[in-house]
Amino acid sequence: MSIFTEYKKEIMDAAHNERIRTALTRAIRTYRANINKALKKYPHTIKMAEEVKEIKEKSVNQMEKLVQEACEVIEDNKGKAYIAKTADEALKIIGNLVGKDKLIVKGKSMTGEEIGLREHLEELGNEVYETDTGEFIIQKLGSRPMHILAPAIHVPREDVAQLFSKLTGEELPPDDIGRLVATARKLLREKYFQADIGMSGANVVAADTGALFLIENEGNIRLATSAPPVHIALVGMEKLVPTFNDACKVAEVTWRYANYTIPQYVSVLSGPSATGDIEKVITYGAHGPREFHVIFMDDGRTKLAKHPILRQALYCLRCGGCLYECPVFAVTAGHFGDKYFAGIGAIWAAMISQNIEKAASMAYTCLTCGRCKVRCPMKIDTPAMIVELRKLIAEGDHLSQPDLAL
Amino acid sequence: MNKESRRLIPPGLSYLADNITSKDNLLGTSKGAGAKWAEDLRLPKEMETIFFAGCGYQYNSQLESLMSLIRKIDKSAISTERTMSLARFQKKLGVDAAGIYRRVMARGSNADAQPLRDAVKVLDSLGVKFGYLADEEPCCGGLLHYIGLHEEFAKHAQEVYNRLKSMGVKQIIGIIPSCTYTLRNLIPNSIDRHDLEVKHFCEVVAESISSLELRFPREVKVTYHDPCQLARYLGLIDEPRQILRAIKGIELVETEWTRGEWATCCGGGGGFEAVFPELSQILAVNRAKELVETGAEIIVTHCPGCIMQLKAGLKELKTNGVEVLDLTQILAMAMGV
Repeated sequence: MSIFTEYKKEIMDAAHNERIRTALTRAIRTYRANINKALKKYPHTIKMAEEVKEIKEKSVNQMEKLVQEACEVIEDNKGKAYIAKTADEALKIIGNLVGKDKLIVKGKSMTGEEIGLREHLEELGNEVYETDTGEFIIQKLGSRPMHILAPAIHVPREDVAQLFSKLTGEELPPDDIGRLVATARKLLREKYFQADIGMSGANVVAADTGALFLIENEGNIRLATSAPPVHIALVGMEKLVPTFNDACKVAEVTWRYANYTIPQYVSVLSGPSATGDIEKVITYGAHGPREFHVIFMDDGRTKLAKHPILRQALYCLRCGGCLYECPVFAVTAGHFGDKYFAGIGAIWAAMISQNIEKAASMAYTCLTCGRCKVRCPMKIDTPAMIVELRKLIAEGDHLSQPDLAL
Repeated sequence: MNKESRRLIPPGLSYLADNITSKDNLLGTSKGAGAKWAEDLRLPKEMETIFFAGCGYQYNSQLESLMSLIRKIDKSAISTERTMSLARFQKKLGVDAAGIYRRVMARGSNADAQPLRDAVKVLDSLGVKFGYLADEEPCCGGLLHYIGLHEEFAKHAQEVYNRLKSMGVKQIIGIIPSCTYTLRNLIPNSIDRHDLEVKHFCEVVAESISSLELRFPREVKVTYHDPCQLARYLGLIDEPRQILRAIKGIELVETEWTRGEWATCCGGGGGFEAVFPELSQILAVNRAKELVETGAEIIVTHCPGCIMQLKAGLKELKTNGVEVLDLTQILAMAMGV
C-alpha cells in the first residue's frame, strides 16, 4: 500500500473508534474550561504571548549565534555542550555517551520522539524507562503518543488498569485512578535511584546562562534529572532564546496555554551539581548529577528558518492548544500526525523528518479552517503554511531533492 | 506541471482542479449551465457593480452527485493505488459524469439556487444597483490555490481579472465566502492588481440594516453557524449577527465555545470533502450536534458548502424539526420579498 492509502486507512479507523472520540471530547471540554479560567485569572498572559512571539521571531533569526553562546556558558559552568547537525549525529553523540547495558530513566521529550531516541538506546542494549505516566503507559502498550503533552490521551482507564494489572500481577480496578497512578509511581520509584543516566528535553533554553527550563506536574522530570549521576538533555535549536528573562516569559506562556495554569514544578538547570562547602574547594557531583550534557540539535531547523512562510513552525511552544481546536484531531487524535501532529505537524514532517509522502497526506488532511491559529499564543498561521506546503508538494521539482524548496 | 509531484495530490482534488482549468467551473459542466437560476430575473450584464454568484449555490444538487462520483473515485483509488487517470476511472467505473449533470440539469429545479434569488431580491429592495455576468461569470479558481497549484491559479486569476475588467466591472458583491475571499484577497495578491472593490453581501446589507423594518413571519429560535472563510478569513463575524438581531421575532441562541472566530468547521473546508468524503461527513455530524444543542429550530448559515454539510449532518443525527437556511433566505422572509 502507498503511504497515503495506509495513512487514510489509519485515519478512518481512528475516526470510527468511539473510544478515541469519547476521550477527546472530554479532553477538549476540560481544556477549554481550564484555559478560559486561566486567562481570566492571569490576563497578562495574552500581552505576554505577543512579547514572546517577538522573542521567538528574533531568536529563530539567530539560532546559530545563540547556540554558540549557550554552548560556551554551559562549558564554563562545567557542563558539556554539543551541536548535532542531523538526527543521526544526535543519536551518535548520545549513543557514545550512554554506551550499553545502562539503566536510563527518561522524561518525555518530543525532540527525542522526533529522532527515535528511546528505540535507538534500546537497540544499543540499554534498558530505558519512560517516567511520564502517560508516556510510560504508551511505552508499555507498545503504542505511540497521540498528543504532544498528553501522550495517552486516547487510552481509557480500563486499558490502563488491564496493563498495570499485567505488569504487577495484582487485580487493579479501572475506577480507582488514584491507585493506578500510585502503581506507576511504585513501578518506577526505585528506577530513578538505580539508573545510570537520566534524560530529558527542555521547554526553553536561555542562551546567556545556558539554563534549561523544564515544566511539569508529575515530578518525574525532577527525579530523572537529579537522582542519577549523569543527565543528558536533547534540545531542538528553536528552543533557544537570548536571555534568562526571555526564557521565563516563554515558560509562563507555554505552561498557561499548555493547560497547566500553574505548573507544580518548573526546574531550571544550568550545570552539574556542585558544592564548595568543604574548604571552598568547588567539587562537581554533589547530590545531583556530576555530569551534565546538553545536545543542541539542528536537524533541518536552520534551513527551515530561512523559509519566509514555513519558518513560523519554529515559533511553536509545543503547548498543544491548537490540537484541542482541530476538528479532525478531535476524531482521530494523533493518527492525524507523524512525529508531530495535525496541520503544523505536516510542516515538521516535510521539513524536519523529510517524510514527503506522509507530509503530503497530512497536508491534505488539514481543513485550513484556521481555528488553530485563533488559539495559538504565537498566532502561527497554519492554514497559510499548509497551502504553501501543498504548493511545494504540487509544483515542486524540489521533491526530488532532499532540501525541499530551500 | 510536474507529473511526478502531482501524484501526491489526492485524486478528488486533481479532478476538481481539471474542471476549473478546462471548463471554468468546479463541476466540469458545460458553460452557462449554472446561470439558469437567474433567467427570469432580468439582471443586466453591463454594470459597474456586479453580483458574483459563484459555483456553490448554483450547482448545489449537482454537487451532491459530484460527491457520489468522488466517493467512487476515492474508493477505487484505494484499490488501484490512485495511479489511474480520471478518464480511465470513469470508464472502469462506468460513471458518466456528464450524464449525471445533464440529468440533474434537466430537472430544471431552482430550489438549490433559492439563496441566490433571495439575495438578489434583498439587494433590489435595498435599492442597490447591480448586474450579473450570468454565463460569462468566471469561476474564481480559489480551489486551485488551496490545492497548491499556484502557477495555474495565477494564470486563472489573470484571466478572471481581465474578464471582469473587460466587462467594465468596478465593484463586486460576493455571496459565497470562499469566492469572495478569493476575489478580495487571493487574486489581487497573486497578480498584484488591487483596483476591484469587493464586498460581501452581508456587509452591504449590514450597512443599511438600521433603516429597515424586519419581522420574521413567526417567533423562532435560531442559531448561527459561522462559515470559516466568512468569519476567520474575511473577518465578518458581527455583520450576520447584527442582521439577525435586527429581525423581530428571531431569538438568537448561540453555542458557548464554538461561535464567531471559534466556530467549528462544518467539515467541508478547502476541498477536504473531496479527499475524505466519509470523514467530512463525521465532522458535519459533530458540528450539527453542537448547533442543535443550542435548542434552535433554525440553523442559519451563509455558505453553500456549510449548508450542504449541515443538512447532511442533521439527516445523520435524525433530528426532527430543525432546518438549515441561508441568511439570505431568512432576510427575504423578514423583508417579505
